Amino acid sequence: MNTKVKAPPIRRDWLSKSIAGTLLGFTLAVAVSGLLDLATQALPLATRGQLSMWLVPPVWFGVLSLCFLFGSGARAWLWLGAANAAVFSLWAALRFI
Amino acid sequence: MRADVIRLYKTVHTWTGIVAGMALFIAFYAGALTVFKEPIARWVAAPSPGAAAVPLDEAPQLIARTLAAHPAAAKSFQIHLLETEHVPARMGWTERPQGGDDHDRSNDRHYLATLQADGAPLIEETKQSRVAEFIDVLHRVVGLPFDNDPSRWVMGVISALYAVALVSGVIVLLPTLVKDFFALRLGRNLKRMWLDAHNVIGIVSLPFHVIMALSAAVFAFHDGIYAVQDTVLYQGQWERLWSRTPPKGPPPPPRDVGTMLPPAELVARVQALSPTLVPVALDYVQPTTPRAAVRVWVRDATTVQRSVNGGFALLDPYTGQVRSTEYLPGRQTAADATIVSFFSLHFATFGGTPVQWMYFLLGLAGAFLFYSGNLLWVESRRKADRGRGALVVQKRSTFLMAAATVGVCIGCVAGISATLAAGKWLHGRVQDLDAWHMGVYYAVFLGAVGWAFARGAARAAPALLWAAALCTAAIPLTTLAGWLLPGIGPWAHGSAAALGVDAVALAGALGLAWMARATARRVRQGSVDSVWSLSAARGAEASASSSGAQEPAAGAAR
Repeated sequence: MNTKVKAPPIRRDWLSKSIAGTLLGFTLAVAVSGLLDLATQALPLATRGQLSMWLVPPVWFGVLSLCFLFGSGARAWLWLGAANAAVFSLWAALRFI
Repeated sequence: MRADVIRLYKTVHTWTGIVAGMALFIAFYAGALTVFKEPIARWVAAPSPGAAAVPLDEAPQLIARTLAAHPAAAKSFQIHLLETEHVPARMGWTERPQGGDDHDRSNDRHYLATLQADGAPLIEETKQSRVAEFIDVLHRVVGLPFDNDPSRWVMGVISALYAVALVSGVIVLLPTLVKDFFALRLGRNLKRMWLDAHNVIGIVSLPFHVIMALSAAVFAFHDGIYAVQDTVLYQGQWERLWSRTPPKGPPPPPRDVGTMLPPAELVARVQALSPTLVPVALDYVQPTTPRAAVRVWVRDATTVQRSVNGGFALLDPYTGQVRSTEYLPGRQTAADATIVSFFSLHFATFGGTPVQWMYFLLGLAGAFLFYSGNLLWVESRRKADRGRGALVVQKRSTFLMAAATVGVCIGCVAGISATLAAGKWLHGRVQDLDAWHMGVYYAVFLGAVGWAFARGAARAAPALLWAAALCTAAIPLTTLAGWLLPGIGPWAHGSAAALGVDAVALAGALGLAWMARATARRVRQGSVDSVWSLSAARGAEASASSSGAQEPAAGAAR
């Protein structure tokens, strides 16, 4: 007898997930780069700005690649939206307080 | 659950791979050649008196007399220290049209200046072939002709698909990675062998590919990323950092460049900073203004460098004072060196010649990944012949994808070889060598693509590979002609760099000939229902000419 409940298969939702991963992945990457910027305030802007810029593609493409693991397109938007809100809030708190 | 994830990511890998694959082939093949941009430039450079015509000690007179005769050069000019084949004269500069695209150099005009026997300056536009730059542009914007913003956005999208293809490929391979990693199953199952080769090359060169995907994305999107970050994070400070406010009031009288320190002295000042630096050029920036500066470009095989031109020290050309070592190899802050290392990892400007060869081979292996990936997809779509020996008609989509892959990839190889060899034949014989280089490349490239679609991959591939072999053999043969028959046009340089180009081209031609034979054999003997089969080509032709695809045998077999 099979007592383990099988998880529902992942909904493909290709378009929804791709758009979420592209847009919200980019904004999330910018938010994370903002945290790096705050962590490297000792460096001159010309230098730390470059480091922050370089951080964006790896985070962005990392999110874009893995966003297909979400259970559905709706979940992708929800979770990535929440992650954006959380990281930007953290950045704003550290920046302005 | 795990099987579902694997299936999911197999789809992701397949689609990102076949959409981006052909563009990436061009980027990697042309990129591999671009590692050796300078040897190629030296190979194709027509013989000229070069920088040696004006000894470095006479450079101050050259500068003063040239600026007097041609004031436009005063914005920025270079004094070359290397006396290699591709340096046409001791002094050179570029005039760029106003308001052009930041990255698009195709409308630049290049000038050289040298001293004649009577001391008068000779100023003219250079007639040097810029094919090495053209190959670089092909790799930068995935086969498009111009390195401008729209082309870069295309390249950026391709690099995003590429990054996703890398991650998805690893995910798909992960469960069987340890078991299958070294299992390169050579044998009768050709599709298994190609798949194993694709996998092992992909995993082994993964760090290289991750570097390329991320750095290419930076090159494509950095302006946009900076703009967003400036708005959201820096509140405009970034823009203010780089904007140049023109000075108020009337412009001050131009400074007398005769009072600048001689180039030899400036070089000595930089050399004193570190013994491992090899100065290669001086780049004077607005020397007649109060903001006069000179970048002394140096190479240093013991460190990382931001650019293929090396690094530089920023000096005041009138006092010799070292203003900045921000971009000087070995003298940068840790943070600057970290950023430089990102560039260096893309350009292979570290570790000297061995690393350059490593990147060259990795680039070619990468091109193989995209070529094989596409063909694996094509093969996976073939309808298996159930042993009834009946003629199977391939689906139109697989026919088209196979033809496109073969045409684009082999066309790119043949086109680059053809335009490179043409550089020696056309020099001095045509008005606009740049346009001819582009024309020769695209004629061969588009001809190959057209031929592949007209004949189908099976019949076109061996012929195209032979054509590519011949175009590539033309490179050393042209040099041989130049050496044996000096009057007819081409020349032969004897330097290691130039002969290296001939040697690699010869090896490449032999490799392509071997591939042509192997492919022809496969086409004759291979499985009847494979896309490589001649009968498939004929079948696809038959289906293309009739209005609807007829698949009676395959349909009955189900």
